[in-house]
Amino acid sequence: MLGDIITPDLFASALRMATPLALAAIGGTICERSGVVNIALEGMMLVGAFFGTVITLATGNAWLGIIAAVVSGVAVSAIHAFASINLRSDQVVSGTAINILALGVTGFMMERLYGHPGTTDPTGTLGPVFKFAMSDDGFFGTIWNWINGIFLSHTPIVYMAIIIAIVAQWAMFRTRWGLHLRALGEHPRAVDTVGVSVIRGRWIAVLMSGGLAGLAGANLTLEQVGSFTENMTNGRGFIALAANIFGHWTPVGSYLASLLFGFADALQIKLQIFRGEINIPPQFFLMLPYVLTVVVLAGVIGRAVGPAAVGKPYEKE
Amino acid sequence: MPVLELREITKIFPGVVANDRVSLELERGEIVALLGENGAGKSTLMNVVYGLMSSDGGQILVNGEMVKIKSPRQAIDLGIGMVHQHFMLVEPLTVTENIILGREPGRLGVIDFATARQKVQEISARYGLKVDPDAKIMDLSVGMQQRVEILKALYQGASVLILDEPTAVLTPQEVKELFRVVRSLVDEGLSVVFITHKLEEVMSVSDRIVVMRDGKVVGETKPSETDDVGLARMMVGRDVVLSVEKGPSTCGAQVLEVTDLEVRDDRGLEAVRGVSFTVCGGEVVALAGVSGNGQSELVEAIVGLRRPSSGSLQLKGLDITHASARASIEAGVSHIPEDRHRRGLVLEFDLAENLILGDHRLPPFASHGIMHPSAIAGVAERRIEDYDVRTPSWHVLASNLSGGNQQKVVVAREIGRNPELLVAAQPTRGLDVGSIEFVHKQILAERENGKAVLLVSLELEEVLSLADRILVIFEGRIVQEFTVDEVDEETLGYYMTGGGGSKLDGEAEHVEMTEGDS
Repeated sequence: MLGDIITPDLFASALRMATPLALAAIGGTICERSGVVNIALEGMMLVGAFFGTVITLATGNAWLGIIAAVVSGVAVSAIHAFASINLRSDQVVSGTAINILALGVTGFMMERLYGHPGTTDPTGTLGPVFKFAMSDDGFFGTIWNWINGIFLSHTPIVYMAIIIAIVAQWAMFRTRWGLHLRALGEHPRAVDTVGVSVIRGRWIAVLMSGGLAGLAGANLTLEQVGSFTENMTNGRGFIALAANIFGHWTPVGSYLASLLFGFADALQIKLQIFRGEINIPPQFFLMLPYVLTVVVLAGVIGRAVGPAAVGKPYEKE
Repeated sequence: MPVLELREITKIFPGVVANDRVSLELERGEIVALLGENGAGKSTLMNVVYGLMSSDGGQILVNGEMVKIKSPRQAIDLGIGMVHQHFMLVEPLTVTENIILGREPGRLGVIDFATARQKVQEISARYGLKVDPDAKIMDLSVGMQQRVEILKALYQGASVLILDEPTAVLTPQEVKELFRVVRSLVDEGLSVVFITHKLEEVMSVSDRIVVMRDGKVVGETKPSETDDVGLARMMVGRDVVLSVEKGPSTCGAQVLEVTDLEVRDDRGLEAVRGVSFTVCGGEVVALAGVSGNGQSELVEAIVGLRRPSSGSLQLKGLDITHASARASIEAGVSHIPEDRHRRGLVLEFDLAENLILGDHRLPPFASHGIMHPSAIAGVAERRIEDYDVRTPSWHVLASNLSGGNQQKVVVAREIGRNPELLVAAQPTRGLDVGSIEFVHKQILAERENGKAVLLVSLELEEVLSLADRILVIFEGRIVQEFTVDEVDEETLGYYMTGGGGSKLDGEAEHVEMTEGDS
């Protein structure tokens, strides 16, 4: 049975499951590094998922759908940016409000656009980027099949997420933008006194997190499921936040942490198939990623310290 | 032509004129000390110059040209650099990253770290400011951090350097080093404005002294033309008793006995490593040391805010080793905490509430869980009167008082409780001479009343003027003990910075210790 569970497919599925988490988590990393808490990742992801589907259904072009998802994520994040940066309101409250708003708006618009709640018509899903043939050439064939299965079977956004993680990591530690970003979340006044705008830096970071969360939503609908269902993000935005913390507020760390959660998700799906043999209720497996989140956040696996000024609105003297 | 000239700068805050037509000139290669009590408007003036605040009137001239400075960026571009009282350094970033912040070398947004590091090393060599360009700020001592701040200003091309209360956080040795650096900067053609309220610094470092009081310039002089007493009078507007008078100590019964105390810090590292001492009634014992050598943890253990990992604490024979903060207050320990905003006061509460905090559960302030406002108000009014808290009434929120008055509220509450032991941690930090004088008097009054006082201070002058006995703490151990008349600042400074060596232990542990600290 173990051989049936541990297959290339399991790891491929882990990569797939990790993608929306990773994109949102990198968004969260960028946002929190700038000093703004973003618990609205969930809502931004949901809105991205919705508008990605709407535009794809309307135009028949999934790429336009992806762009729409990113743009709508950015738009929602602008609300969060304005509330928490310009109005200096409590960032957790603003984030919570956006999550509730996103749920309401997507549900309402479904009714208006399609005349029914629940799930939209199928959009179909984007296909894999590469299509390599399987090999039956003995030992090396098996290795090839594993590599092909795990790494070369994916849809575009899965690869985008990996590239984004690496580029964001590089940018965060090697570029001017990255240095300003890291300083912003620790000591905004220090940034201000050398003549770099705190307001602008934070706005850009929040908008970037919105765009990434929107892209995560697009991955969910246009690559994984193929339609939009109300509240389909189902807490992924919060798991992404956990991944960001577990990844110590770094893009690559966030990606790797997401991979762990993705693996837990992939495993629970796989185990459900064998639930007849294992005789454990399926809800138990469904619980796995969330239990893992709690364990991680409780600091069981190494305590992490976030940016010092995160969550504190910046006010000039 | 002056490099910097301020003409009739006026800055008005709601209800207060912080700067009232203040004029000031700074020549090239000159060190001007801007002296004044807290709230005199020194920092406000310099914040206006640095573009952090806008002025409500007046003109600024740089090299004879009239300028408008609306942001720090403009000030930097005009060659004005400022080292703030609270450092503008990003702790987890490296020295180089902090120095280049805002003016990073490189192309297309990619930072050229090799060039950056090289530039930092160049400047650091040129002005004799040695620093490791790759060290993280949080691993550096306060003196080093300040050095990074100065380097940052120099990197940005400053020709005028404003130092806001630069010595407040330094050890005597670091102060000396800073003065040396300041002089070498001036030799290289820079001009320095040195903001302070400490008289002896003004006398030793400045070329010219400008004194401010209540937002106005009240006088200008030179170190050669005045002395401490004259300066203090100019600054406060009345005669100030600089040296405290106290009779010989009358050591009564033993009040506090600390035995082999070990305490861990928040990170679980040993901060206090086996400390033993006693304090008796009628005696002030001072704990002298550089910040971060275990003083805070020791104090927290004594007042019940931190659990010692081993050893014992006795208060008049009563074991308070594991006493909670409440039990510790009930046993007769009062605590003037080092951070009055975080631990001394609830800033959003009014003065009456702040003045009875800690006793608020007990009669006459409360019975059966119900507060008695009139009893509270009565005591509050009496304490405001007795302790000279300058406030219209007890209804005022603690956050609206000046630092000196806030501290008086803390002192009023802690001493008003009539404790057996007063633990005073940096009781005059950030206070002006008038308030310092008052707090010192109160501490000595406790001593006269036969109470025990444990003073923790980074100010050696304060230690030497108040204490009967001085314990020098270094890396969690008491390395020397002196009676006050057998020691001077130099000697204390020497032992505070590990000069005595840690003779108490083997070599191996010492090595491990320093590694753990870095």
